Amino acid sequence: MLIVAFAATVLGVLFLLAVLADWVSPYDPLQQDLMSALQWPSSAHWLGTDDLGRDVLSRLIYGCRIAVIATAEATAIALVIGVPIGLFIGYRGGWWDWIVMRVVEALVSIPGIMVAIVIIAILGPGLHRAMIALGILFSTSFLRLTRGVVLAEREEVYVRSARVVGASETRILLRHIFPNIAPPLIVQTTLTVGAVLLAEAGLSFIGLGIQPPQASWGTMLNTAAAFMDLNWFLAIPPGVAIILTVLSVNLLGDVLRDSIGRGIAAAAPPPASAPRVAPLLARAPSDSPQSSRSDEMLRIEALDIVIAMPGATEIPVITDVSLAIAKGETLGLVGESGSGKTLTGLAILGLLGPVLRMTHGSIRLNGRAIHDLDQKALEAVRGSEVAMVFQDPTTSLNPAFTVGSQIAEVLRIKNGLSAEDARRRTVQLIDRVGIPRAAERAQAYPHELSGGMAQRIAIARALSCNPSLLIADEPTTALDVTVQQEILDLFRDLQDEFGMAMMFVTHDLAVAADVCNRIAVMYAGEVVETAEVDALFADPRHPYTRGLLSALPQGSSRNPPLPIIPGSVPRPGTWPTGCRFQNRCDRRVEACEARIPLVGAERMVRCVHYQNARLKAVLS
Amino acid sequence: MTAAPLLEITDLHITYWRRSLLGLRGKPFHAVRGASLSIRPGETLGLVGESGSGKSSIANAVLGLAPVSSGSIRFAGSELAAMNARYPPSLRKRIQAVFQDPYSSLNPAMTVEDIITEPLRVHTELTRAERRAKAIELLQRVSLSEEHLRRHPYQFSGGQRQRIAIASALALQPEMIVLDEPVSALDVSTQNQIINLLYERREALGIAYLLIAHDLALVHHISDRIAVMYLGHIVEEGPSDRVFHAPAHPYTKALLDAVPLLDPQAQRRRRAARKSAPAPEAARVAPTGCPYRNRCPSAMKRCAEESPPAYSVAAGGVASCFLLADARPEAASAASATA
Repeated sequence: MLIVAFAATVLGVLFLLAVLADWVSPYDPLQQDLMSALQWPSSAHWLGTDDLGRDVLSRLIYGCRIAVIATAEATAIALVIGVPIGLFIGYRGGWWDWIVMRVVEALVSIPGIMVAIVIIAILGPGLHRAMIALGILFSTSFLRLTRGVVLAEREEVYVRSARVVGASETRILLRHIFPNIAPPLIVQTTLTVGAVLLAEAGLSFIGLGIQPPQASWGTMLNTAAAFMDLNWFLAIPPGVAIILTVLSVNLLGDVLRDSIGRGIAAAAPPPASAPRVAPLLARAPSDSPQSSRSDEMLRIEALDIVIAMPGATEIPVITDVSLAIAKGETLGLVGESGSGKTLTGLAILGLLGPVLRMTHGSIRLNGRAIHDLDQKALEAVRGSEVAMVFQDPTTSLNPAFTVGSQIAEVLRIKNGLSAEDARRRTVQLIDRVGIPRAAERAQAYPHELSGGMAQRIAIARALSCNPSLLIADEPTTALDVTVQQEILDLFRDLQDEFGMAMMFVTHDLAVAADVCNRIAVMYAGEVVETAEVDALFADPRHPYTRGLLSALPQGSSRNPPLPIIPGSVPRPGTWPTGCRFQNRCDRRVEACEARIPLVGAERMVRCVHYQNARLKAVLS
Repeated sequence: MTAAPLLEITDLHITYWRRSLLGLRGKPFHAVRGASLSIRPGETLGLVGESGSGKSSIANAVLGLAPVSSGSIRFAGSELAAMNARYPPSLRKRIQAVFQDPYSSLNPAMTVEDIITEPLRVHTELTRAERRAKAIELLQRVSLSEEHLRRHPYQFSGGQRQRIAIASALALQPEMIVLDEPVSALDVSTQNQIINLLYERREALGIAYLLIAHDLALVHHISDRIAVMYLGHIVEEGPSDRVFHAPAHPYTKALLDAVPLLDPQAQRRRRAARKSAPAPEAARVAPTGCPYRNRCPSAMKRCAEESPPAYSVAAGGVASCFLLADARPEAASAASATA
């Protein structure tokens, strides 16, 4: 903030000096005094004098005026020419676009200063003409930038919405698209201001810009260059002036760009009405112990993950999550967006990224702790012991390589197979995941395959090294329902064959019912219920699980109003203390305010009513 | 049943041309091949199909966002297909839309007030104050409030954004709203909130909906009738309950069977049954005859030779499948479909 104030002050002073130059400068900037040429700073001449004995301070102040006029002129011309043409050709496309872009390409293929010289040769020398030349020159970058952004924006759904509303083409362009291209334009403008200041110096140097004896920062720099060995200080005032001005403009440009806030989805600070966040941060002893299971592959104990943004307080996103998966078992991790289910999967692979941090808990694979391994050791684990299948197969496969080579690569690196063996095994794997003509399909690129086929390839790649644990993160969400069914069948078959443990992350309870042995329901960063799949669907205990089940389209046959869960999943940082579901729950009681542990053995549930029920059962 | 249709689509074809390297016309892609539909005032038609079935192309054609190759789209007596996407304002305001992705369908640079009042600015002479009053009323109708007016879309959750999109679509009191996958990007717990809101607004205002979705079960809740699309063809159409509970076309059956059951034991039994009768692996697109025959468990010789016309189904509606031909050789609708 201090820097912003400084930048604003610099530019404010610049403008004041430009306007008031006649009054504030101590000398006439053109008045020569050869007797006192090239003086160092003194009380008479604060910044010394130049080769003709002119007062540097006065010339610097008058230079402000030139700087303001020059940059304003050239930048305005560049904007006025570049932006409308860019908007037009970007939106219209076709022949207009083709012709204009070829002209622009011809222009930018010649060094900029040459183009400016040619334009000035036509117009004649002088500050304003030089600035027109620079304006035309810099307009090409505005034109290309505007066109590029418009090309992207015009495909946005909001433009379709505007069409449906009936907005005219001009209105769509100016009112709907233009505000969205403003941020890059602002950045480009501030960059141009700096470039114009420097270009003006260059043009003045070769006598095409400001005409001597008039003072501009550029001409002053040039003078300084000529007398560098006699008085090096001459370069300092105009140099510092240019640097400060350019820096300030860029800084203010950034602030301006950020302030017109184009939906950067930074989590809003928690509203004042929800101050009950702090107690959660204190690490209570884990209240969700997992009973040990035989044949355990994966065991997560009391996992905590926080968002640690620099300069902000840490916000918990996962608290006290404990899970265990046995060999050959599939655990469904079910929850809506924001529940933390995907993060739990990524934490196992050590792929949390820079902002998220694991602050507590342990992750054990085959009895070995993997949560504190270094990157190199983790790399050995990833792909060979733990593999992952992602939601969107078209983006999780590299479009530049054939699908076969992407599987073979894993086999060669992780299993050390020879190229020939890797190829043979790759074809086997592709065949195994149910793709006909496997040898031929191995040569295909991802874009040549349908979504279902591509997901089969991703599964083949994940299985290539016989992992102990397969994490599938919404692997069928992007697929059509008939394809989803085939992929789910495939998962079941492969698990029977390979015997790995599987963590199946999904938002769809029905999908979880189909492939999972056990299900853990997550809500707002914690597990609220775990149970065997049959038991969960026969008798869901947590009100959230019940709500989710009844909200599924196939869960009810009634006409609207359909059963709903009121409200939406609270964002991390706005979780209520105690039960995090309490604000949306129809069975809320006062006891929900206190922290609720996950209780039970085979079936566990985090709900005050279930605890009471158990208590009553024990008492009676 | 007697009211004249508000929207009537007849034998609609939509073809996209892929550009070749030199900008010349390349291969054609037939998104919609001869679809016919109608929606009466105040009625909801659910249009269901998988990706690539052409359902969104129909939505875009109705909205004037996609070119029509041939066929007719009549809305309240006006021929939309001939207008080449340039609808007069008087017609524009009568058809509005809500799109799938609430994250990109709202302009990120505009405030909620701007978004909701944009239709009013374009089509009415209301003053700023009047528009604002109207915006507040609309926000309240979708369970948001005046305080949300000055905010930007990124400050809202997916469900709230979709409410804003609905408020904007309602601003001009349209007779029909095209809903293109309105809830598929939302969380399960908020989906039903939006469905209920759409239902409640329809009951209050008598709007007709063309509801595009891939989830038959969800569409069933709110639709009066359902049409099922497969590769550009409408293969079945009929009353919502009949299509959902007694599907006549094998593809509709397959769609319904593919959705996992909520009862794990029943689902296991169904899986076992499916395993014993594996579906044939074949190209999805059948060039001649019935488009679905390559994947159809009951495909016959006849299916490859001629394309099945629309046969009427006993409990209501039509389905394009020869299986129905044996049961009831139907002439009336068959003649119109093959013509």
